[in-house]
Amino acid sequence: MSEQESDADARIGSRLQETDGHEELRDGHRNGDGEHGERARATGETLVEIDDLTKIYDPDGAHVTAVENLDLDIGDNEFVTVLGPSGCGKSTLMECIAGYLEPTDGEVLVNGDPVTGPDPSRGVVFQSNRLFPWKTIGQNARFGPQMRNAVDDDRIRELLDETGLSGFEDSYPHELSGGMQQRAELVRLLANDPDIMLMDEPFSGLDAMTKELMQEMLLDIWEEEDRTVLFITHDVAEAIFLADRVVVMTARPGQIKDVIDVDIDRPRDSSVLTSEAFNEYQERASELIHDEAERAMEQKQQETQEG
Amino acid sequence: METAKWAKRSASILGLLAIWLAVGVFGPQTLPGPIAVADAFAGYVQNPVYWNAIVLSTLRVLGAFTIAVLIGVPLGLLIGWNVVVGDFTYPALELVRPIPPIAWIPFTILVLPSIAFSLGFVGFEINTGILFITFLGAFFPILLNSIAGVRGIDDEYSRAAHSLGAADWQTFRHVIYPGALPSVHTGMVVGMGLAWVNLVAAEMISGGGLGFMTWSAYTGGSYPVIFVGMITIGVLGYLSSTIVRYVGASQLPWMEDATA
Repeated sequence: MSEQESDADARIGSRLQETDGHEELRDGHRNGDGEHGERARATGETLVEIDDLTKIYDPDGAHVTAVENLDLDIGDNEFVTVLGPSGCGKSTLMECIAGYLEPTDGEVLVNGDPVTGPDPSRGVVFQSNRLFPWKTIGQNARFGPQMRNAVDDDRIRELLDETGLSGFEDSYPHELSGGMQQRAELVRLLANDPDIMLMDEPFSGLDAMTKELMQEMLLDIWEEEDRTVLFITHDVAEAIFLADRVVVMTARPGQIKDVIDVDIDRPRDSSVLTSEAFNEYQERASELIHDEAERAMEQKQQETQEG
Repeated sequence: METAKWAKRSASILGLLAIWLAVGVFGPQTLPGPIAVADAFAGYVQNPVYWNAIVLSTLRVLGAFTIAVLIGVPLGLLIGWNVVVGDFTYPALELVRPIPPIAWIPFTILVLPSIAFSLGFVGFEINTGILFITFLGAFFPILLNSIAGVRGIDDEYSRAAHSLGAADWQTFRHVIYPGALPSVHTGMVVGMGLAWVNLVAAEMISGGGLGFMTWSAYTGGSYPVIFVGMITIGVLGYLSSTIVRYVGASQLPWMEDATA
């Protein structure tokens, strides 16, 4: 693991000055190892390095280029959202990082090592809830640690408690509401203590109110512990509300159109959503994504006609 | 609710009885009516021949079904899970599957022996041919449903397991097996029914049990007894499928209604 201290300091320093409203942060901690403030955690080290990534599905047949020559670095403890129209290859990007797909070209490095397959250090939350329906909430939560015989019951209990799920340990997933299922999946992931959380539109199936609560809960969890998040979404507001950086993707073949640094104070809650700064970001992101969404729609139409 | 349900289910049986009565009135005179059959039943209930036939047939079904589960479930899960195993076995199995039980009988008579056992105080004989044909009835539905069960599991469950640190065998144990279980269960219910179907076909020709009892009632001219045999087979088949259904449902607490 390479340390890039000076770089890190500069980046965090500037961020704190510009963005962070917290007294305790202003008072001194600028060097990235602060226990006082959330943003001070980001070390500035690159954790995930996506290098010239290209993924082509069915190269001999339909030849669909999902992602093309994509470069992206994700910092340690950074919260990055990937915003793009549907079908732009953002899930493909995530699946390459997760180790489910092999890139056609280029590579994904985590901590400098190429990704060769799934690993518990890279946890995944799927778009449709993927709690194991045949296991209770408690069994689901224990699943990861159980695989290596390292279940920490206190930790599980704490996580279930924090997410309002204590008392539902013996329930099966289908007995829970959508929001509770999503929280339980988050617990299952956190119990496994991954360095990186890969989240593929995890809240897209929830109603607006539940979604907002889940976003706040995710931020709370993330701010408490050292973790890097790559969060995929097509929801502009969600992308900005959660992120340190919003990566806007083009329609297929998926490339990076622009990266927006979101300098809004943390910790954030839903009151941020009505702030002026938020609106400006939202306008900018919406403009960026609008044309791409149109292009994606045309692509879809064309495919349907051809198909 | 519950009462209404049972009323409907009883009506279904009574309806069958009504049709039988109606056919007896308007139909061919050779058809024994319910009363003649009830009479024959009363006589047969005291006849050890009847009870021996029941015990023999039930044991055959039980044995063949157990073997079918022990072979069909693991094989089906493997075929569904591993493409290579599938390629090596599936075509051969599909070729064997459409051969009806009756067509197997000459083969079994030629190849499969009757094995005599003695436990000292009691001796008995196992007709492996009948056992084999009964086994086939249960085996294929169990096998095919096990395969379908595995293939029906969304890949993302396996991906989730791998990303949580599960090795391949752990994914098999915690995702593939439990995920396929509802379909395996359906296969077992269907397989139990077909085990009885094949058993009776085999017994009619190869001998013993309820099938032979029914067939010899026909050749001997005691027509009501044919119906005693048929009804007994029906009741036992229904009963054993129901047992499989409830035992299965108790293993699937996470299904919303596994007995439906």
